Amino acid sequence: MRLKPRKTAPDSENVLPLINIVFLLLIFFMVAGALERSDLFAVEPPATRAAAESDAAVGVLLLAADGRLALDGTAVTREDLPAALEAFRTAHPDEILRLKADAGGDAVAVVGLLDELRAAGVQQVVLLATEAGR
Amino acid sequence: MRIVRRVRPRALISLTPLIDVVFILLVFFMLASSFADWRAIELMTAGQAVRAPSPDPAVLVRVQADGSLDLGGERLTAEALPARLAALAAADAERRLAVQPEAGVPLQRVVDVLDAATAAGLRRVSLVGGGAGG
Repeated sequence: MRLKPRKTAPDSENVLPLINIVFLLLIFFMVAGALERSDLFAVEPPATRAAAESDAAVGVLLLAADGRLALDGTAVTREDLPAALEAFRTAHPDEILRLKADAGGDAVAVVGLLDELRAAGVQQVVLLATEAGR
Repeated sequence: MRIVRRVRPRALISLTPLIDVVFILLVFFMLASSFADWRAIELMTAGQAVRAPSPDPAVLVRVQADGSLDLGGERLTAEALPARLAALAAADAERRLAVQPEAGVPLQRVVDVLDAATAAGLRRVSLVGGGAGG
């Protein structure tokens, strides 16, 4: 018995729906997601119910649970913090400082850092948190 | 009538490399984009909070390390706090509230207290450090 080689449909016809879906996904992720530089160290922000929305673009002061600090992706020590804050304020005079602290970290460390920020002349600080119930 | 089967012209560009690139872009955007919905909690730095000796004394909420709270010297559970804060806010929404965490209290619990105060309608909430002893 001779088997006739089955004629395959043109490739383009099979993959067109696939490409459509993939393009849609691509556009969705491009538009809906925000590209962000990943944090220098892992920080799990606290969850909150009532708060204003914010973006975490610039002026993010990272406080890890073990007390390490980073300002906008560069690690800073406690001693260098006033100088780094001064540089930040010169570069972005209109930006407020956003503090991203670990939810499991000691709250007293956050309060102590706030004191240091005030001593460094920072007028306004917001604490970044994620939306609760997710 | 005879229907002449139209012979599809061969696609000018092969689709496979295109799909490869699109897939790589898709994976990149899926991994690199973040959908974190950031919330900002205004932290009234103590400098603003104690700018001038205001006529009304602040109500102090101590967040204890053992899980209980201390509202103006009275021990409370975390569940009882919202009702008490609502009563405070009903009496005077301009009443200042100072939240003072004890050493070892995770930040999340402090944020919960700040949330409860905001939900109760208190506007002037500040985070204060320990050591003052109230």
